[in-house]
Amino acid sequence: MTREKKVTKKELRQVFWRSFALQGAFNYERMQNLGYAYAMIPVIKKLYDNHDDQVKALNRHLEIFNTTPAVVPTIMGISAALEEQNANDPHFDSSSISAIKASLMGPLAGIGDSLFWGTFRVIAAGIGISLATSGNIFGPILFLLLYNIPHLFLRVVGLKLGYSVGVNSLERIQKEGLMEKIMAMATTVGLFVVGGMVATMLSFKTPLKFNINGAKVVVQDILNQILPNMLPLLVTFAVYWLMKKKVSITKLTLGIIVFGILIHWAKIL
Amino acid sequence: MVAQAIMLGVIAGIGILDGRIFGVLMLERPLVTGLLVGLVLGDVKQGVMIGAQLELIWMGIAGIGASTPPDVVTGGILGTAFAILSNQGAEVALVLAVPIAVLAQSLGVLVRIINGYFLHKADKYAAKADFRGVTLMMWIPPFLFFLSVFIPTFLAIILGAEEVKALVNAVPETILGGLKVAGNLLPAVGFALLLDMLFTKKMGVYFFLGFLGASYLGLNITAIALFGACIAVIVNLLVNNQPKDGQARDVNYNNLTEGEIDFD
Repeated sequence: MTREKKVTKKELRQVFWRSFALQGAFNYERMQNLGYAYAMIPVIKKLYDNHDDQVKALNRHLEIFNTTPAVVPTIMGISAALEEQNANDPHFDSSSISAIKASLMGPLAGIGDSLFWGTFRVIAAGIGISLATSGNIFGPILFLLLYNIPHLFLRVVGLKLGYSVGVNSLERIQKEGLMEKIMAMATTVGLFVVGGMVATMLSFKTPLKFNINGAKVVVQDILNQILPNMLPLLVTFAVYWLMKKKVSITKLTLGIIVFGILIHWAKIL
Repeated sequence: MVAQAIMLGVIAGIGILDGRIFGVLMLERPLVTGLLVGLVLGDVKQGVMIGAQLELIWMGIAGIGASTPPDVVTGGILGTAFAILSNQGAEVALVLAVPIAVLAQSLGVLVRIINGYFLHKADKYAAKADFRGVTLMMWIPPFLFFLSVFIPTFLAIILGAEEVKALVNAVPETILGGLKVAGNLLPAVGFALLLDMLFTKKMGVYFFLGFLGASYLGLNITAIALFGACIAVIVNLLVNNQPKDGQARDVNYNNLTEGEIDFD
């Protein structure tokens, strides 16, 4: 009877710090795999003494991997728990470690992107930019704080929960529809903020004026009476529509620069 | 000038490594690099203002997934630096930053291709359970990433500052005015990219709520975000609208990690 092998706080702390370097060796073939394997090394060293087991474990974590970096500590926590089971139970099916990793990276990337990319970053940037446009240095600072407080919180808690509660709880959460609820809430707030930003941060007014029988008609005033910020709304949806028509971002950007010069020259904007 | 060029190169290096080894803390974003460039060049206010404008334009551009987006790090830093050095505003910054970001992107692609070599070496070390070898293969690519932005940034500042200054000052007023208009229009690209990720027919109404709240009630972004959070809680947690099994919710699952957005 050999004593039970166990991952301790020390290894988890090492995994936590190493998880930041996830994309350090990003490559097109297997993407974040090298960063993932690097983060798992402390766990592998702790759990396996045998050369063959170490090779197998390293290879498992060198498989293709790609997800939102913010959620990766959660998956690493689960991997650590599974490796621990594998090290202690000779009947454990080690291929399930890879299978679970692969099955988690998709859904968690979805939730990670909508939470961090679509919500926290948008809110943080929106507030940061609104200060920074007047040159206030608290703009960038607030941006970093508002984004990174929830970001680092999820990294710490995710790793702990991933290791202690494991994959079962994630499956339960998914079955109960909690993931979808969180995503729906994140999307709601994200859309609110983007709507607000279109109204407050896209600023252009047309100087167009007409003289009809001596009466001055200011086009911008008429537009404001129909709907304030109507032009920014129309421009945003025009670009969105072009994007849906598969016009590339680079073409859109360059096109807008040329368009801006032309309509300024034509004195429309 | 050499000292400043080195410092700007280091800022670019930190920016590119943010997404590589710092876990994407947002140090790569133009809003942050703008502040740092301003500090180095002695005009913090202008740096922050230009950074805000570039951030708006590149709002939707993310360093995620398999697709390699325009390099907002090199583009943002050089655009901001050249605008400050030639005493110009955000419009000059953006017209320089946009093409630089697209050009610099190709270096990022090159490094990711070269990394394939280190991956294969790592596989060989892994077969011998050589942890040190794997670790070493993991840590060489970050140096390549660092150099891929440090060198172009350093050289551009050392060699290009005077030329860019002369070029910018030779641009006629009409064009500069047009660029200003373009600069005001360009954030629409960022917003459209975000809508591409978030907008669905059912959820679209929240976009309009936010828009109308800001347009008619004059609410600022913080207020909009807080109201949005309250409404998200009301709709998703308080109102009982649990879908029956098998009935999918209308959430946009189409996450960006799959690299579907075409940057080229």
